[in-house]
Amino acid sequence: MRFGGIDVGSLTAQAVVVENGKIAGSKSIGVKPNPVDSAETVLGMLLSDLGLRHQDISYIVSTGYGREQVQSRGLAHANVSEISCHGVGAFWLLPGVRTIIDIGGQDAKVIRMDTAGELKDFVMNDKCAAGTGRFLEVMCRTLGITLDELGTLSLKARHPVGLSSRCSIFCETEVLHYLQRGADKADIAASVNRAMAERVAALARRVGVEPDVTMSGGVAKNGAVKSELERILGVRMVPCPVDPQIVGALGAAILARKMGGEK
Amino acid sequence: MEDPAELAGDILNTHLEEWRRGGGRIVGYTCVATPREIMDAAGILPYRIRALGKPERELADAHLSRFNCGFCRACLQLGLEGTYDFLDGLVENNGCDHLRGMFEDWVYAKRPGFFHYLRVPHIVSEVSLEFFAEELELFREALGRHFQVEITDASLKEAMERNNRTRESLRELFSLREGERPALTGRQALAVILLESSLPPAAFEEYLARFLEKSRGNEVKGYRARLLLAGSATDELELVGEIENVGGLVVCDALCYGTRAFWNLPRLAGDPIHALAEAYLKHLLCPRMFDDYHTRLDYILRAAERAKAEGAVLVYNKFCDLHGVENVRLRMDLEEAGIPVLVLEKEYGSGADLGRIRTRIQAFLERIGG
Amino acid sequence: MAEGSSATTRKGAEGLFERVESLVEVAMLLPHGMSDEEVEGLLRVLPPDTSRSMRALLCPRFRDVSLDFIKMLGGWVQELRRAKEEGRKVVLIPFNFPPEVVYIFRNAIPLTSEVMTTLGVSVLEGQGERYWDHAMGLGIPDYLCSSSTIELGSILTGRDFQPDIIVQSAPGACDANSKIHEFVSLHMGIPQVILEKPTEATSRGRELHRRYFLALIRRLEEMIGEELDEERMRGVLEEANRASDLYYELYDLRKFSPCPVPNIFSIFTYGTRFTRWGRPQATEMMRRMVELSRRRREEGAYPADEEVARCMWLYIGYYFDFLGFFNWMEERGITYLNDILSLCQPLHVDTTSRESMLAGLAEACFEYPMTRQIGGDSMSLSWIEEMCQFIRDLDANCAIYSGHHACKQTWSIINQVRREITKRTGTPVLCLQGDSWIRRMTPTSVLQEEISSFVDNVVARRKRTRARA
Repeated sequence: MRFGGIDVGSLTAQAVVVENGKIAGSKSIGVKPNPVDSAETVLGMLLSDLGLRHQDISYIVSTGYGREQVQSRGLAHANVSEISCHGVGAFWLLPGVRTIIDIGGQDAKVIRMDTAGELKDFVMNDKCAAGTGRFLEVMCRTLGITLDELGTLSLKARHPVGLSSRCSIFCETEVLHYLQRGADKADIAASVNRAMAERVAALARRVGVEPDVTMSGGVAKNGAVKSELERILGVRMVPCPVDPQIVGALGAAILARKMGGEK
Repeated sequence: MEDPAELAGDILNTHLEEWRRGGGRIVGYTCVATPREIMDAAGILPYRIRALGKPERELADAHLSRFNCGFCRACLQLGLEGTYDFLDGLVENNGCDHLRGMFEDWVYAKRPGFFHYLRVPHIVSEVSLEFFAEELELFREALGRHFQVEITDASLKEAMERNNRTRESLRELFSLREGERPALTGRQALAVILLESSLPPAAFEEYLARFLEKSRGNEVKGYRARLLLAGSATDELELVGEIENVGGLVVCDALCYGTRAFWNLPRLAGDPIHALAEAYLKHLLCPRMFDDYHTRLDYILRAAERAKAEGAVLVYNKFCDLHGVENVRLRMDLEEAGIPVLVLEKEYGSGADLGRIRTRIQAFLERIGG
Repeated sequence: MAEGSSATTRKGAEGLFERVESLVEVAMLLPHGMSDEEVEGLLRVLPPDTSRSMRALLCPRFRDVSLDFIKMLGGWVQELRRAKEEGRKVVLIPFNFPPEVVYIFRNAIPLTSEVMTTLGVSVLEGQGERYWDHAMGLGIPDYLCSSSTIELGSILTGRDFQPDIIVQSAPGACDANSKIHEFVSLHMGIPQVILEKPTEATSRGRELHRRYFLALIRRLEEMIGEELDEERMRGVLEEANRASDLYYELYDLRKFSPCPVPNIFSIFTYGTRFTRWGRPQATEMMRRMVELSRRRREEGAYPADEEVARCMWLYIGYYFDFLGFFNWMEERGITYLNDILSLCQPLHVDTTSRESMLAGLAEACFEYPMTRQIGGDSMSLSWIEEMCQFIRDLDANCAIYSGHHACKQTWSIINQVRREITKRTGTPVLCLQGDSWIRRMTPTSVLQEEISSFVDNVVARRKRTRARA
């Protein structure tokens, strides 16, 4: 039997199919204005890659901010919060994982799992964008660099500047201020990553950080944020064995397997 | 009959308009520590100021700052844009620092016809009770002087009896919510409380009797878990609605726009002012009070036990110092008592944030296995 | 805690107090009259953050007075430790409670939360952030006040010097301060005593406050296990009165232009007022500040060519910049005349009888800075009036509101305060925003730029226009 997970986030959408306890395939796309379109497209692309039809998937769970619409349009049988899905997905990949730091486009979450792989506790950022992928995006725009460059550039930093980690609006003004004063872009990039990590670390302390720790979500690909987080929290991250962006959809597929009746 | 949430969804309802047309006066207050009975005894309608989750802030933010509580900013916005011009006066009290600022700005900008500062002590002692009784006496005098009406002990007692009657009915209604088969939703319960402090007493009494009648035998179905809701000033019907849409039925609360507003009845024997002072100060159940944490904790634990709550949502508006800190300790103590807790920090009245609130509630329900 | 103890502090010391304590041991050994070379040598061996503060403090203009200040606070920290070892009670007090109320007891000593925070932020490597982070980890919201939360965060780790009693005197005056103190009391099981400040400054409000105060004294007598001794009280309060006299001398010296009182003496003043008032060390400290300022007045000494801005800080300053902020302004001709805390205006206590002394102490609590203004029926009324009065009295030509983000009270009324002050005195007001004790919120460079552009574009221009007229 095959099971599917669809995760429609604010910036990207993913689909994963699992079969016989293995990932049969996954797909990731940039979102379309409508979450249902995103879900349809990403799932359609994955199914065509795998040479499957919709009815070949026994049970599908949707997650992400468009999860309810995706379900109500019949693309999924049930919907589960992305908090549970990221937890379940990461735990399935790495059974020793107890803490998952997931940083997506709009949200940052820290998820705690127990030894049985059940959701133990979680915390999610408040409305403020500081500490989310959106924050990095805005900062990159201000710096005139791409998201990919942000991580690599900051490795060249020599004298990181002081940036407020508590507010993204302040932070943007400050970045401009440093640029005008001729500060090195690499130094600013490093500080942006540090501010980001400080914000997320503050969140993580709320639920406590128990090893093993791993990261999921798009920002997990930014090595500088990851190493800053490791430094601040005093832990080593276990690398995510798959593309960290598909963990939510994977978790949804694992839950689909459970809900759809297969052990 | 009209659903309470429909009726409570407007700041100015038809009953109020009718009251005003008949020459009735209305005085606004915000904090639950304000004895409504004194206004009621003067024939004045005590109206509890609300913002109902209003997101606009531009006028208010020329006075308050982005570091102030969104509820206060929203109330001030309504005050400044004239929505509350139907009020004949305002009663401020030192409920919290944000509220103090809000009233100060409101009065600075609008100069209401009647304004009274009712000072509420932060500790309960013989000395503070005596002072508070004196404050209530001063309030009675100020109202009487301004509105040219004598508030006698007899009229006060009459108002207290009427209010106690209503409170008893409210308790009965809320016990229907707490029961095995909840008869009403948390959204409806919040709406009823909002109506209590925005309808003429007789109209409310009549409405409550009908709603109570209708609710008996009613049963809310299809929820995933029974929740307790506690925390800072929450008058957002939409928020409670959202919690319930995801499947968390709010079966009991410890909110000031909730049971805390009516749970304890002032005694009717003896001097009415002293009875009111005692009832309002001793049973304030707000973290603005000091040396009183265990009373508040017990209140919440008892409510959770009565209503068999499977989890507690401790909500607070960003920048709320009182509940922000209180929730930390409550979370620890409730979890210790076996009640899972979700602490929900939120930007007041931010509809755009509801999606994220939904996610947290849903994950919480998944966590507690609802 | 994520980070281990710093290599520079006593082995195993992790808490804020204990780390400060181990630095104090070294600081107490520093002699007066150090040469620039000796100072440079010292700064090289200190860890970077500590060194930055020491550089600001050991500025040649007031080096020896700074040393006195360091030693006064160092002596306080050491006495706290000794008191603890001898079984005397350590009473944690907030910024709005006069320490002399604790000193009148033989067996008690005050530990002031906010001063301890400021000390830690000034001299510890990594400042106070790890303690703040610990409190945040417990779930304390990040909009709480760092002034108290840093020291209390350290107490909350359970691995620092612990007080025996907590005095709460902010209920009614500051929610953030009083809630975090109460939380510590509950969480750590430390008994608290509460003094509420009624909002109304009438005889009725004062009478209520006096009764609350007497109840507090009775509670303290019980908890400390000591009945107040009238002679001891008199000794402490006469000492406090002497310090108060010197306070007003220093205040008067600030009226001269250029101002002979170094900017940093503002924080020295309340550092003294909030910890040692009623003890000879405080009197001596005030005397040293007065003497140096008087001498500077005679010499016409001022660190810049011109005193461009005589600036009244309407609220508090910034303390996360290793005290460099004060000197930075001074060297650019920006005088930090006073802020709401250094305008503490201590009262003379009538020492005739036990009753008169207790009444005087109650009054001192009522009239404490911030409490008397922001803790009033109107939060803005007496704040505006007092500031207008001080602006005129000290001939200030500009005002700055630091906008510490956690102060919800002042933030909620600053717009009208600013408008009224400008209307009544013609003084321009700059509103900044940041966290006064944590550098993560607004970096120093941003604050400096805003202050510079305010002074250059508004204050200096006005001054030139006026001079031409």
